[in-house]
Order: sequence, then C-alpha cells, then structure tokens
Amino acid sequence: MGAIEYAIDNWDRLLEFALQHIGFVLLSIVIATVIGVTLGVLTYQRPTAAALVIAVSATILTIPSFALFGLGITFFGIGNLGPVIGLILYSQLPIVRNTITGLQEVDPAVVESARGMGMSRWQSLWRIELPLAWPVVLTGVRVATLIVTSIFAIAAYVGASGLGREIDRGLSNLGAAWAFDVVLTATVAIVLVALVLDVLYMLIGKLTIPRGVRS
Amino acid sequence: MPASEADPPAMIRLEELTKYYPGSDEPAVDAVTMDIPEGEIVVLVGPSGCGKTTTLKMINRIVEPTSGRISLEGEDVTDVDPDRLRRRIGYVIQQVGLFPHRTIAQNIATVPRLLGWDKERITERVDELLELVGMDPATYGPRYPKELSGGQRQRVGVARAMAADPPVMLMDEPFGAIDPITRDRLQNEFLRLQQEIEKTIVFVTHDIDEAIKMGDRIAIFGNDHRIQQYASPEMLLSNPINEFVDAFTGTGASLKRLNLTRVRDVALSDWPTAASDSPREELQRRLAETEHSFLLLLDRQQRPLRWISERDLARSDWTHHGGLKVRAVVEPHVTLHNALDEMLTSNVGVATVVDERGAYQGVVDIDTVMTAVNAMRAETRERVRVAPWHGVTASDVADATESRA
Repeated sequence: MGAIEYAIDNWDRLLEFALQHIGFVLLSIVIATVIGVTLGVLTYQRPTAAALVIAVSATILTIPSFALFGLGITFFGIGNLGPVIGLILYSQLPIVRNTITGLQEVDPAVVESARGMGMSRWQSLWRIELPLAWPVVLTGVRVATLIVTSIFAIAAYVGASGLGREIDRGLSNLGAAWAFDVVLTATVAIVLVALVLDVLYMLIGKLTIPRGVRS
Repeated sequence: MPASEADPPAMIRLEELTKYYPGSDEPAVDAVTMDIPEGEIVVLVGPSGCGKTTTLKMINRIVEPTSGRISLEGEDVTDVDPDRLRRRIGYVIQQVGLFPHRTIAQNIATVPRLLGWDKERITERVDELLELVGMDPATYGPRYPKELSGGQRQRVGVARAMAADPPVMLMDEPFGAIDPITRDRLQNEFLRLQQEIEKTIVFVTHDIDEAIKMGDRIAIFGNDHRIQQYASPEMLLSNPINEFVDAFTGTGASLKRLNLTRVRDVALSDWPTAASDSPREELQRRLAETEHSFLLLLDRQQRPLRWISERDLARSDWTHHGGLKVRAVVEPHVTLHNALDEMLTSNVGVATVVDERGAYQGVVDIDTVMTAVNAMRAETRERVRVAPWHGVTASDVADATESRA
C-alpha cells in the first residue's frame, strides 16, 4: 500500500509534525485546565452561575471550528496563536462541567468535618475537595484533549503547525497520485497521537489519584 | 440560668441563643439558655426538627446564630474567627466524614497539622490516640478509611476529634448509623474513655435511652424549639416537668431508671445458705429455722451450687446434687435493670449476686428493687429542694411527685 510506504519514507517528517501537534494540544489543555477549574471552583456552589458557565461553554463547542479559526485571523493573524485560543475555548465544556460535578459530588459530611475542625474555606477546597474531585476533573481534561486533538488538524488552513499541515497539503493536491496516501497517513497519525495522549492520562491518573479514592 | 454553687464551673454558656433560617418565620432554635459544666456529658435530645442539632452547630458556629451569646471557658466567642474557634473544639458527626484520600494517621493528624505541630509530636500523638481507641497504630495508621468497618471509622472519628486535646467535644448522633450491638459497645467504650479524659461533651441524639445512658445531664427539646427541661437523668425520669417530657421519656420511665443504679450500689438481701457437704439432718434443721422455702447450697469456695427445698431433702434418694440448679447469677457491676430481668427468669424469684471469683455475696429480690426505687425517688426530691434545676421550681416538682404518687 502506498500510505505505508509513504509513512516509512517520511517518518522523521511525520514525527516532527506529530510532536508539534502534541505540543500545541498540551499547551492549550494546560491553559484551559487552569481557566476551566478556576471557573468551576468559582461557580460550583452557585447553581445559576454554574448553569450559565456550562451553557456558554456548550454554545462555544457548537461553533464550527472552520469558522472560528477563520474569524480568529482577524484578531490574531496567521499562525498558532489564534488556533491555541480556539482550542482553549473548545476545551471549556468538559473541563468546567466535570469540575463542577466533581466538586458537587464530594460527600457533604467530609466538607462539614473539614470546616468543623477549623480548616478555612480555601484549605478545605485545596486540601480536601479538589483532591477528591480530581478523578472527575481529570476525566474532563481527558475528553477535552481528545476533542481538541482532532480539531487542531483543521487549524492548519490558518497557518498552524502539526499533522493538519499534511492533511491540508494532501487535500489541496487531490488530483495527484500521492495525495490520498498523504491524507490517509496523517489521519492515522492523528488517531495514534490521540491514543498516546490517552495512555499519558492513564499514567497521570495512576500517579495523581490517591489510593484511598481509587475504585 | 447560672449554675448553682454545687455545680462545676460552666465550660460553655449559651445565652438566649436563637436561630432563624432565611425565609422562615419560625425559629429553628428559640432563646436557648444553658450552662454546660466542665467535664460532663450533656445530651441534647428531642424529636426531629426540634433544634437540638442546630443548637450544637451554633456552638462551633457551623451555623451562625441570629441572636444570643456563646461563651467558652468564660470568653465570649460569638464573634471570634470561627476557624480558630473550631480548632479548640472537637467535632464528631454521624457520617464521621473521614477524608477518604488520606490515611487513618493523616486523618487524625488534621488539627495538629493546622496548628503547626512538628512531625515527631504529631506521630507520637496519632499513635497514642489510636491506642486509646483500641486500634493498633502499626496496623491501622497506614490504612485508608474505606478499608475500615463502620465501628472502626467511628472510633477514628472520635480519635481525630481529640487530636489536639480540645477541652470541648461536640458529638452529633455519633453512634446513630451503627448497628445496635456495635453501638452498645462503642457507647460503653466511650463512657470508659470519658472517665479518663474528662472532656466537656455536648452530645446530640434522638434516642432517649441513649441520652439516659450517656448523659450526666439531659436537655429535652420540644416541638416549640425550646428546652423543656434540663436536668439529670434521674430528675427527668422521676420528675418530668410537663406532659411533653413525660411522654418523651416514655411510659417505661420507672423501668429505665433501673438502668441508672447498679447492683453494687444497693443493699443486698440475705438468704439462708449452707455448705453443700453438710449432713441431711443439719440441712433440714437449717431450712426449718427460716421462713424461706429454699436453702442455697454453697461449695467450699462459697460458690452457689443448688437450691434445695424440704421436699428434696425428704426424698429417699437424696444426694447433694438434688434440688434445682442455681440460675440468674449476676455480678455487682450489672444494672438493677439486668438483675430484675435475671430475677424474673430464676426459679426461686431472686438473682444471686457473686463477686468476680464467683463467691456468694447476697441476693437481689423484689424488695431490694423496690427499696432502691424509693431511695432514688427520695434522693431526687431532696436534690430538687436543695438546688432547683433549669426552669423547675420546687412547687412544680411537688405537684409532679404528688400526681405520680
């Protein structure tokens, strides 16, 4: 098959694109996690605010990425900045929603005993509630990562790096004999990147979820 | 109402403590005033929604009072920083609320860590506390809460509350979610522990029997969210101030009172005894001398063996194994309630009391029980005359006593 031959002949090039892809996805996810968890922490005890934040982030996720990245050029020009901001926005729904759910699901008796022993609001949140909500938050982050790994491929048409470049190049030359192989190879590579990231999350979970709350 | 001179000093004083929850016209707690004396267990008891738990939670300001004052060790703490206040007060709740992501040792270390103790002191204290609640530190310290049984978790909850040696402990239905047998054991363990630690304890329950068992004093809350009566268990049972208290303490009040007295506290009755190896003629002579129809045979170590009657002695095939086996044997530490129970199952209508080596001490019969009940009644009446309790005037008590007589 042509695609396999292409992959073997160009593995160093593909690896470089894959690493760029992973790099920008993880960069966006780290920033998105900080923002999303903060939004969750600020709203989980206020039902109206929580519903509003979830509704807004759900709405964002319905905007077609093709359109969002295109509009981004107006503000951020060509390159990676616009797409990274786009990925951060797309990540919000799973992260914010899981943070809110995770914090709300912490046993109220545990929180009451934490406060009852003299932990401040902040100490209770930081030492007790967030660690207990962490498995749920981490699942949200994992889902967000899967979503943006595929969305980032679209961003190549506004000049972003990553495996999307290859897909873009193939699709622009569809008449050529090699074009189909290039698109197929890059698509498979994105799926592999997603799998690698998923394994990474399994490891993070193993390392960060305390033994007492692991199921 | 200030405590009378005979009482220990108040560790906690609540003055006109009132709570209205937002959006409710009816107070959850209505003008509660009480002194909680140092080193005693005070039980707040009442039907659900009566305000007992809200009152408890206002003491450590988990619930902020709408009005009224709270003092701890003579210091007004109504407006101090609640986080600092809570580190001086142990807190145990029904669901325990152990931190699932932390080990048992880390759970117990919570307050000492907040107070900034050094590591060595914390480790020492954690081991000491685990020993105190009867759990091996090496085995249980590194475990997680989910690896423990309900009863063990509750013990850890108590140990965690005592970690920084607070003078005061608040306990909200601490044994409420535990099976009856384990609950009984935990209650006994806790009472034994309290004899050592002598904390001031406020204890909430909806179970009047638990209140009577655990409390040095009991405050009964009514449906009007006020204290109906605040008194010792003896007082509540013998002199309920109104119909609500009477109904709440239950129709079995006199029977419950027998739980408050132990066999060692009452004068035992005598019963004619004889050595089991005495000749038949001597046994017959002994029995004829008494008005009892049974003679109690003891072995050489004074341990009760058999009940024998004139008829047993008259049998041609008489041996020293004749007569009835001695059942209903009790030791001095059991309650009169237990003794009465045994008595009713015994074949001669008495419970035989033996010391820890099994040697005969005397018997508990119906007269012993009646004498004890009358003595308790007289004692409570006397105490009422000397030191009136919260809201109880001497004439109320006289009325109550009359109407019962």
